[in-house]
Amino acid sequence: MSRFLSISILLLFVLYVSSESAGEEEFTEELLFRPLPDRKVLSHFHFESRAPPTNSYGHHHRLFPKAIYQLVHKYRIKQMELSFTQGRWNYDSWGGFDPIASSNAKPPGVELWAVFDVPPDQVDASWKNLTHTLSGLFCASINFLESSTAYSAPDWSFRSLSGNLRYGSLPREAVCTENLTPWLKLLPCRDKSGLSSLMNRPSIYSGFYHSQRLHLTSDEFDPVALNGIVLEQTLTIVLQPDSLETHPSFSGSRKLQPSWSMSSLFGKTVDGKCALAKSSNVYVQLEGSLVYNMKNTWNSIDSYEGDSNFGFTVSPDRMMKEINSVDKEGYSIIYGFSINNDHSSKPFDLGFWWKLPVTWSCVKAPLRVSRFLMGSGNEKGAIALSLQSTEWSQSLLKADNDGEKCNLRVDVFQLVPWYIKVYYHTTKIYVDGASQSLGDIIEKMSVSPSEDKVSPGVMEMILRLPCDMKSASLTLEFDKGFLHIDEYPPDANQGFDIPSAIISYPDFQTRLQYKLDTTSIKSPMVSKMQERRTILSYTEVLLVPLTTPDFSMPYNVITITCTVFALYFGSLLNALRRRVGEEERLRKSKDKSTGKLRLLLSKLSAKLRGKPWEPPSSTPPSSSSKFISTKVVIKIILIAAIAFGWQYYDG
Amino acid sequence: MRNREINNFLSRSILTTLLVITSILTTLLVITLSLSSSSITHAAVHTNNWAVLVCTSRFWFNYRHMANTLSLYRTVKRLGIPDERIILMLADDMACNARNKYPAQVFNNENHRLNLYGDNVEVDYRGYEVTVENFLRVLTGRHENAVPRSKRLLSDEGSHILLYMTGHGGDEFLKFQDSEELQSHDLADAVKQMKEKRRFKELLIMVDTCQAATLFSQLQSPGVLAIGSSMKGENSYSHHLDSDVGVSVVDRFTFYTLAFFERLNMYDNASLSSLFSSFNPNLLMSTAYYRTDLYQEQVEKVPVTNFFGSVMKTIHTDSAYRATSGKDSSRVKYDVTSGQSDDVDARRMTSSDPEKQVDHPDIKLVKGGGCPHADWWYAIVEKFQGIKNGDIIVNYGLVGMLTLVAVSTWQSS
Repeated sequence: MSRFLSISILLLFVLYVSSESAGEEEFTEELLFRPLPDRKVLSHFHFESRAPPTNSYGHHHRLFPKAIYQLVHKYRIKQMELSFTQGRWNYDSWGGFDPIASSNAKPPGVELWAVFDVPPDQVDASWKNLTHTLSGLFCASINFLESSTAYSAPDWSFRSLSGNLRYGSLPREAVCTENLTPWLKLLPCRDKSGLSSLMNRPSIYSGFYHSQRLHLTSDEFDPVALNGIVLEQTLTIVLQPDSLETHPSFSGSRKLQPSWSMSSLFGKTVDGKCALAKSSNVYVQLEGSLVYNMKNTWNSIDSYEGDSNFGFTVSPDRMMKEINSVDKEGYSIIYGFSINNDHSSKPFDLGFWWKLPVTWSCVKAPLRVSRFLMGSGNEKGAIALSLQSTEWSQSLLKADNDGEKCNLRVDVFQLVPWYIKVYYHTTKIYVDGASQSLGDIIEKMSVSPSEDKVSPGVMEMILRLPCDMKSASLTLEFDKGFLHIDEYPPDANQGFDIPSAIISYPDFQTRLQYKLDTTSIKSPMVSKMQERRTILSYTEVLLVPLTTPDFSMPYNVITITCTVFALYFGSLLNALRRRVGEEERLRKSKDKSTGKLRLLLSKLSAKLRGKPWEPPSSTPPSSSSKFISTKVVIKIILIAAIAFGWQYYDG
Repeated sequence: MRNREINNFLSRSILTTLLVITSILTTLLVITLSLSSSSITHAAVHTNNWAVLVCTSRFWFNYRHMANTLSLYRTVKRLGIPDERIILMLADDMACNARNKYPAQVFNNENHRLNLYGDNVEVDYRGYEVTVENFLRVLTGRHENAVPRSKRLLSDEGSHILLYMTGHGGDEFLKFQDSEELQSHDLADAVKQMKEKRRFKELLIMVDTCQAATLFSQLQSPGVLAIGSSMKGENSYSHHLDSDVGVSVVDRFTFYTLAFFERLNMYDNASLSSLFSSFNPNLLMSTAYYRTDLYQEQVEKVPVTNFFGSVMKTIHTDSAYRATSGKDSSRVKYDVTSGQSDDVDARRMTSSDPEKQVDHPDIKLVKGGGCPHADWWYAIVEKFQGIKNGDIIVNYGLVGMLTLVAVSTWQSS
């Protein structure tokens, strides 16, 4: 008995120790689906790898990718985010207020920012080496960010991270399979098993939007390291389900939303979870406004029922409801499905289908932002940033502080390449069409003007806009610069890109809090949603046409100038150096010598022929020979001209 | 009279000593020469394969050039060259191009049976990075320090390199992205520099452009083999149009090259000359050109997998890490350093047994380190060991002695 007790105590102790030692590597995989109002589906993959701090765990890792670990240590990275995006996030119809929109909606192309833990004078060198390393790692031309004209060091407006931060973006970088594959190779199961096996390249890249993101946080270099390195990899895709109606179409004007399943979206199913993952979950999220709109037709939504508005092909394992919703009308719901390896006999294929038509709209960002170009011609222009209020923000603000004059804080961060020479003193602000003085609206502004071929222009601004305004706009004039002929890209006629501006609203924090039941597993994705996070949105990339030279011009200029010079100097030298008298004498002496030779030759020929030699008359032959020679010369010139013409036009 | 005789004798003796000294010197010279030549041939064993595949054309209508390059990429990968030894340069993004009806897919045939882009493509240089400068940097290995290994051609003197280029070209040039040109002189200079830096053993340049043959006219480095799709004044044509993709998807020369390679697997011994003879000018609509005058080997005997595949020669060693087998190596080292001159016979005894030599891989390790004198001595000994027919040397020695004697007697008489 005592023996059994001791064993059980030992066992308990072992269990306790194992549960206590948080210093273990961890990998979790999660996938979230969310139906979007415009008949599309958002799929959001979230993979998280954690490595405990080196001083307690050591250098060897079982799950954590070695390449990333070495990267963090070599360049002493505190935080880094790299994203590859194609397409533009539609803030109006896909939402701008939720955590996914503010952290995974990214500007097109490549965006990279990093915070280094090195002395300030070494940051630029670290950044340069980091861009090269990442370009090798992810098969992209991130190394174009190494030049000082391509990146900047924002002071305070960007993510309120200061110090050793560098930010750069490449709007025109192509994003394709070769970028996704190395990203997948960082996962312990690659794309061989688990949720990542869904990633069928053709279906991912045929979507409307895809953004592949890699976020690193490390406290390795802090005096007390607690978390080690956390690598968060997300892939956000907006796909259009096939509009093949398997269910009978609902009669009436309203169309049924398209049904979808994993196999219809990706053409693949999940065979089982990645064996190395701590947890492997699939979620379906329904937005608050959707739940509210469904309430009309469906009363009891507290529990999932078969005869509700929609159905799943697999019954959900758990349900989470949002608490403290910002949206007063409804609360969002998450249905969770765990993938276990006992699914291996039957592949996991989650399907979602609608029974009744429903329409809803997403929660939008406080302001609708767009940026555009004004002016015409190749000399100058203006950048305009237009901010329009959405009804939702107004109601929110009114509710927040009624009575006193409220205003809305908007942070703007904009990076402009040096060849767009922005005149910051021309900044003008219009609110509801009326011009406003800058001091009333701009609370803080810091500008570093561009320096030709050295650094880009950076503008950071805090605007305080009145809550009751309908629209505001900000304009900046610029001159277009000239590049050196070698600096033009091969497709210069397409125009040049100005990277997206970042607009953030520090007054608003997006946060989805879910009531977690005790049985649910701790999910990094859901806990990420619960974090307070500033709402961010990116503007459009601008395409500025610059004056492009005729690239064959230098050759033309060189050939024409050389010809002109040759003609001029040739004739000048000829005129200056020519001595007519001397020439005449030379010709005479030549004539004499040739005469003698001719005499000899004629004598010889006469002897050979056996005829008596008769001296030729001196004058006529010389004149005839002269005549012949000019004729020959003319003929030769003619033939040469014909040949030249032939060569020139035909060759 | 007496004085004169003495003088005569003196001069003769001086002459004979001179002769003896020169003969000794020449024999030494011959030995050193043979040694040095043997060391070169020893070093240049074919050790690895590299491939540099370049598509130089931007814009959608040049889809076929990217398809050409990717087809070759797939072929060399199938025949065994790993991704880290392939430098792939693609001047534009066709797979995820907005005009591509089949996202993330590239086809080289209208039957769409094979997606060349697959799931595992590693593009090293793409878009604006594909420039003449970067191309020459890759070939000559002159990079910035920060450039990662995956973007470098880390070949050595035992490497066989396949250099495939496709794009738009003309008389002695190849256009890069419609804005720059690579001239035949640039290519020849780069190859010459590679040769001087011992970056390759053999190099096969394969070019599919119009007037491809003219690009090779300046090449002069040994070990270079060149195949071009067309002669001077000829165009290279595309093979067929895919009406679904909307553009031509492959060039004729590459299409028939692939047709040749589709029949092969890694272990086939098809020779380079069979590849050459597979090009039919009527099907190509141009005359394929081969430049073999710089290449020492006979193309009939060289298998295509020397360039398009990766044939690894395994070298058997007893222990995995030779450096760590400290006991044996230290012993041998002791032998070599102690016995520099006196136990030559013992050395001959040990090394005369060929089996024994094979069983002692450690000896090679000693060769690298230790004092140079011992090394030399060891090398000479080994050289003598290597000579199989000692009779000839003895005969030569006898003849030499005879002439020496004859000359000296003639002088003294």
